[in-house]
Parts: sequence; structure tokens; C-alpha cells
Amino acid sequence: MDNYQPALNNVFHALADPTRRAVLRQLTRGPASITELAKPFDMALPSFMKHIAVLEESDLIRSRKTGRVRTCTLKPRKLARAERWLAEQRVLWEDRTDRLAAYAEARALKETTS
Amino acid sequence: MTADPERDLTISRVIKAPRSVVWEAWTDPRQLEEWWCPKPWRAEVQAFDLRPGGAFDTLMHGPEGEKKPNPGSFLDVVSMERIVFTTALTEGWRPAVPWLAITAIITVKDHADGTDYSALVKHADRETRDHHEELGFYDGWGTCIEQLAVIVEKRT
Repeated sequence: MDNYQPALNNVFHALADPTRRAVLRQLTRGPASITELAKPFDMALPSFMKHIAVLEESDLIRSRKTGRVRTCTLKPRKLARAERWLAEQRVLWEDRTDRLAAYAEARALKETTS
Repeated sequence: MTADPERDLTISRVIKAPRSVVWEAWTDPRQLEEWWCPKPWRAEVQAFDLRPGGAFDTLMHGPEGEKKPNPGSFLDVVSMERIVFTTALTEGWRPAVPWLAITAIITVKDHADGTDYSALVKHADRETRDHHEELGFYDGWGTCIEQLAVIVEKRT
């Protein structure tokens, strides 16, 4: 139990970013290469790799290099029931806050341009 | 406001929009409906009486016709600064037994880039939430939970 809090904080940090959540969602469908994972994002590869590193450090995914291709896999992770419950709630509120931000920002933009 | 790391969540964002726009997005029910729920779920504001003890109820419509009411009430409202609401009490502070008891403290502050937004969400004790989990809430929540399945993946 000593490591409970730091580990959970890492998971929460990993979940706090929309790019990283999208990568996790993609990986629920199966392993994928870095190239495939990076495709939907308008982001330089080094920046994208930083997100991958955060996910690896939080123990949510692992990556393996075969030849020139690096493939990521969701890591089986048995979060305790209590951790899981709170992590679920966190994703719900992080996503909700992202939607609010996107909505308000679009509206602010519309007001300044009209 | 202190958060208990085992059952509370603090979410914050710098939103690149004036505080008035963020406040309106939260307090105009038509605008709230635009972002409250993850698609394909849809939120319908049933009640939004923005004052302490006033009703706050969002009905969530699922893609399969599911309906999930969320009756609650506001506890504290400071215009352009703070909204506190709970699902543990309904209109006029009547005690409720919600499927998920929360108190959420929403604060907005000016920020050089727009608005400093934060949500502190407090949950009841573990027994309560385990009970709610057993009621099968997580089976119906669709999108939200599907994304989360991620963390709980038990592939071996």
C-alpha cells in the first residue's frame, strides 16, 4: 500500500491529457504502431513521443521495437476496485471539462470575429 | 477547500475564453446541454434554478433510448465566481438517495490567457460507491466507461 498514492497520481496525470486518453482508447482495440497512433494528431513526432513516454511511465502501456517499427500495447493493469472507480470518475470529469473548454473557446472566437 | 485523494477529484484547465463566456456556458441551460454529456449521449436540462436550494436536474438520453435522471440542487452560487451543487439533496434541500452522491465545487477566475477553471468533485464513502457499482450503473454508461475500460483492462 506504500506505493498506492504515487502510482495513482501517475495514472491520473496520464489521464489528464486528451491526446493520451485518445491513445488509450485506440489501444483498447488492439496493439498499434507509433505511426498509426500519431496519425490522427497534428503534432510533431517528438511531442507525440513525450505522451507515449508518460503513458509508459504510468504503467498503462508498453512499447516494443521490432525492426524499425515500435508497437504499443495496453498493459494489463489490475487497478484495485477503489482506484478503478475514481479513475473512471476522473475520466468522466476530465472529458467534461475538455468539452466545456472547447465549447467556450469556440464561442469566444465567434464573438470576437463577428 | 481540501481534497481527499482517495475519493475526491480536482480538475483544472485554463480556458482561452473570457470568464463571462465560461460562466454563461455553465449557467445557460441550453449551452450546458451542448457539452455536459459525452456523445452519443445527450443532456436535457430538466431544472436549472441557480440559487441555493434551487433544483438542478439533467436528464441524460442514451443512444439506445436509455434515460438517466440526475436530480440535485445548488448549494452555493456566487455570480461569475463559484457554483456548488450536489446530488445528495434535491430541490429545497430534500435529502435524496442518488445513484451517485457527489458535491461539485466549480470555480472560475480570471487568467492572463482567459479563465482559470476548476472543478473539485467530492464523493461519498467507499461503501456507498461500491453499492452503486453493484446496482449496475457502469453497464449503462456507455462511452464514458468504454474509454475507461482502458485502465481496467484485465487481458492476461
